Amino acid sequence: MGEAIVITSGKGGVGKTTTTANLGTALALQGKKVCLMDTDIGLRNLDVVLGLENRIIYDLVDVIEGRCKIHQALVKDKRFEDRLYLLPAAQTVDKNAVNPEQMKELVLELKREYDYVLIDCPAGIEQGYKNAIAGADKAIVVTTPEISAVRDADRIIGLLEQEGTIDPPKLIINRIRQHLMNQGDALDINEITTHLSIDLLGIIADDESVITSSNKGEPVVMDPSNRAALGYRNIARRILGESVPLMSMDLPKVGVFSKIKSIFSK
Amino acid sequence: MTKKQLIFIKGTKEGLVLRLDDQCSYTELLDELAKKVSDEGFEGQAEVLLHLGYRYCNDEQTKEIISCVQQTEHLRVTKIQSEVMTVEDCNRRLLENQSETYVGIVRSGQVITALGDLVVVGDVNPNGRVVAGGNIFVLGRLKGIAHAGSSGNKDAVIAASWLEATHLIIDSVVETMTDELTVLSEQPEMECAYLHTNGSIAIDRLQDLRLLRPNLSTFKGGS
Repeated sequence: MGEAIVITSGKGGVGKTTTTANLGTALALQGKKVCLMDTDIGLRNLDVVLGLENRIIYDLVDVIEGRCKIHQALVKDKRFEDRLYLLPAAQTVDKNAVNPEQMKELVLELKREYDYVLIDCPAGIEQGYKNAIAGADKAIVVTTPEISAVRDADRIIGLLEQEGTIDPPKLIINRIRQHLMNQGDALDINEITTHLSIDLLGIIADDESVITSSNKGEPVVMDPSNRAALGYRNIARRILGESVPLMSMDLPKVGVFSKIKSIFSK
Repeated sequence: MTKKQLIFIKGTKEGLVLRLDDQCSYTELLDELAKKVSDEGFEGQAEVLLHLGYRYCNDEQTKEIISCVQQTEHLRVTKIQSEVMTVEDCNRRLLENQSETYVGIVRSGQVITALGDLVVVGDVNPNGRVVAGGNIFVLGRLKGIAHAGSSGNKDAVIAASWLEATHLIIDSVVETMTDELTVLSEQPEMECAYLHTNGSIAIDRLQDLRLLRPNLSTFKGGS
């Protein structure tokens, strides 16, 4: 029986979908069987980030409404043999097309076959959010070093804590720009973690290649020399239970890199 | 057989005390009261304390008794005493006087409400709200909204290890932490907010609370 992790943030545009795609890919690189689930019905884009857009035949709503079997809707990512699958969201209906009960059942079924089910949550705290968290065992809250994102993260954490069925959420701070933090122009990591007072799962450096790789449909995490990729790989290892020290945001030394590289190129 | 007297009138320094029998029927009592009030030759203006004994009267009945006494312009009811209260009242009073403890962080959008005092062990984050009928004590950073004395208690205070609230409300006085007030509390550690006699909210050191609200301490004894 696998584990279902919902990736949420409250605020839009902080990198939920990017994080889902990259964490899923990183876990698949580590040899786990992963299913990514896009619950942003009506505004799907996890498929685009993964480059699987034109292979979608059926979607999540088709499965829930019984028009197809789960395995028919799952899109296999051929880059990872048999380890990474995507269950795309529907684009033609809206979030009220499914309810939390149906989602719970669907996630339960996926957990039987996969080690990890990563659920990409839509922005907001309405129906889409409720659907996304319904089947989750764990939650990851993504935020950026901006006050607005941190406030929304605080709200989301409050809501998640009220769900008795989900473990205490963990935090990812995305799009960190070290020079702004050093100048004191952006919230620093310590400030954010004390304010939200939940465990920090990892930090991701702001990197332009995240955008370019999303546009190409190739998650950035596949490039082991990238700084953001390293952050995602570290997070994946922490999810797997390894204890990995927090990466330094200053330009990393070559020694650290080659060390990490050697781990992945086994 | 002489009829039992249902109403006793006693004069005291403060005025008249009307002790009403608590065993007879209510209508009987009301009849007797009306008779008594119109019979007696009251003079001048007397203040009356009504003592209901062990009779429970609801609001309507109390009002009826008061208006019955005040039929004559010589009497004015100033106080009503009773030995009984409903379980409901009793429970409410217990809740109002007890202190409730919340352990955890009050996050954005959450509202924590207590009828009496409220102790929060943890932070109150921006847009989180704590409301109490009595005082609010925060063992942590108060960065959200705090409303003390919500049921009309002007003596309520808000104390926090770190007082950085966006809004402080005591009774119905609202204070937003404007620049002037921030200057007042440039060091937000260990502070308390209270309703000043001039009607606005003031902030002071936590240590001064002992002098500002001497009745806050309920501790008896010690050496």
